[in-house]
Amino acid sequence: MLEIYNLDVNLSYRGSQIKALDNLSFNVYPGEILGLVGESGAGKSMTGLAIIGLIEAPLSISRGKIIFNKQRIEQNANAFRGSKISMIFQDPLVSLNPLRTIGEQLVETIRTHIKFGRKEAIEYAKSLLEEVGIEQERFDAYPHTFSGGMRQRVVIALALAPKPSLVIADEPTTALDVSVQAQILELLKKLCRERETSIILITHDMGVIAETTDRVAVLYSGTLAEIGKTFEVLNYPQHPYTKGLIEATPRIDANSLNSKLYQIPGVMPDLKEIPVGCPFHKRCPRYIKKCVEIKPPLLNERAACWLLDNEKGLL
Amino acid sequence: MSFLLVNQLSRIFDLSEPWILRKIKGQQKKLLKAVDKVNFSIERGQTYALVGESGSGKSTIAMMVAGLIKPSSGFITIDGYNFFSPTIENNIKSSLRKSVQMIFQSPYASLNPRWRVGEVLKEPIKAFNLIESENGQKQRVCELLEQVGLSERDINKFPHEFSGGQRQRICIARSLASEPKLIICDEPTSALDVSVQAQVLNLLKDLQKQFSLTYLFISHDLAVVSTMANRIGVLKQGILVEEASPNKLFEKPEHDYTKMLLSAAPDIKNVSKIP
Repeated sequence: MLEIYNLDVNLSYRGSQIKALDNLSFNVYPGEILGLVGESGAGKSMTGLAIIGLIEAPLSISRGKIIFNKQRIEQNANAFRGSKISMIFQDPLVSLNPLRTIGEQLVETIRTHIKFGRKEAIEYAKSLLEEVGIEQERFDAYPHTFSGGMRQRVVIALALAPKPSLVIADEPTTALDVSVQAQILELLKKLCRERETSIILITHDMGVIAETTDRVAVLYSGTLAEIGKTFEVLNYPQHPYTKGLIEATPRIDANSLNSKLYQIPGVMPDLKEIPVGCPFHKRCPRYIKKCVEIKPPLLNERAACWLLDNEKGLL
Repeated sequence: MSFLLVNQLSRIFDLSEPWILRKIKGQQKKLLKAVDKVNFSIERGQTYALVGESGSGKSTIAMMVAGLIKPSSGFITIDGYNFFSPTIENNIKSSLRKSVQMIFQSPYASLNPRWRVGEVLKEPIKAFNLIESENGQKQRVCELLEQVGLSERDINKFPHEFSGGQRQRICIARSLASEPKLIICDEPTSALDVSVQAQVLNLLKDLQKQFSLTYLFISHDLAVVSTMANRIGVLKQGILVEEASPNKLFEKPEHDYTKMLLSAAPDIKNVSKIP
């Protein structure tokens, strides 16, 4: 449904061009939940913004194609933003207008994208609220009277109102409690299954990835490190970075007290000084000569790592 | 005797309107029980974790242990001394202040952006009059930086030149400056990435061994807690509903609230099979 080919996003910085996203290609299939993981600065949010066409100067899409339902959208994203592709942001406190009731905000969104009369729109808005688990009586309430979880429900209602076929959820639960997080993810999953909407779920929580997504893409320094079915990626990671991320994630396990967590050595390189070759090689425990010289492409449609080239599935 | 003892600790916040308005409107006092008769203790060199959702009173307890707000009833003793006791001597009070330090949630908000790292770390040394000479202070700062895995070269940098994980290391170094015995860690890694979180948690463990530190660890992430704590207390609306060792809590949780928290926590082990 959504295809991205060789996407580059450049940042002009003091006359030079820095690659924020480098040769990114992946697909999103209808009805699936695709997870995007990586450390901060890996380009997760940048990918989301590029798809929805919110890339502005000094950032620019310098190469590549974004194809949505067989149409190229990177040049006229306005026609798709909101109606066909919508976005849920991290902090529900900031993404609602504090001066207007949630009803007004819902009706406004609905009438911008669907040709509804006022009454119809109100009717529809109320049914949406019901669907996300908010009583219809709250239609005229202001955002500050809602808790964080309830606000995020309103934001989900807003995002789903125009019946988009793709929702980009940028860390939708990072600002919420664990129990609320579970409810929100469950709701998002249920609504998208019912409407056959695809989701791109951006998060850095491997636990959320494990429990929510069908496929997962691991980003590192603006490049795709690994992509595949969540079950396979988490159980049989092929890229050393994915493996490191999984091992660094603490697990609920009574016996982990006396052992130390695995830590990936070093930090992610600054975008200004991404090394030649594989961007991960400086932190990689098993890099070979080739890693330092040539940047690996995605091999076996799975992971960008030269180790996959000669030895098969050795990680 | 336990190093930290919290006995029947309660804190009530008064949320009612001013007296005169209450009389006009005929309202009762509005009181919020933030912490309600909480009991727990920590042995020296151990880690006790408090878990619960926002609003459950975790941070209120932390602030009372740190001596920042006064308990409404009940008492806390650290190393046998009660900070809020009316008979406590001033020199004991100041040594208690030295021996309890805090690490806060966001390393972005807890460092002054205009201060160089050296000044940040010198502040507690000066405030507690630990080292008089300028040279000695500088030496101590370098030592602290090395203990948390930073280097002497970072002494003249500003906080914005560091990543989130490095900033949290600076905060840890600052809390170590007064050679504390108890460190209160208030969600020390929830603003950090997984890989960085692992580094910070490992550092906290190493330091605990090295200086036999006692931690009061506050978190809502059960996975993090399971790698850190010797004992875990579960808080719900100010009441300690369950307290157990990690073994027991994760294998046989008793209270419904604990069960709910456990089932809600996303765990990497629960990867769904291909449908």
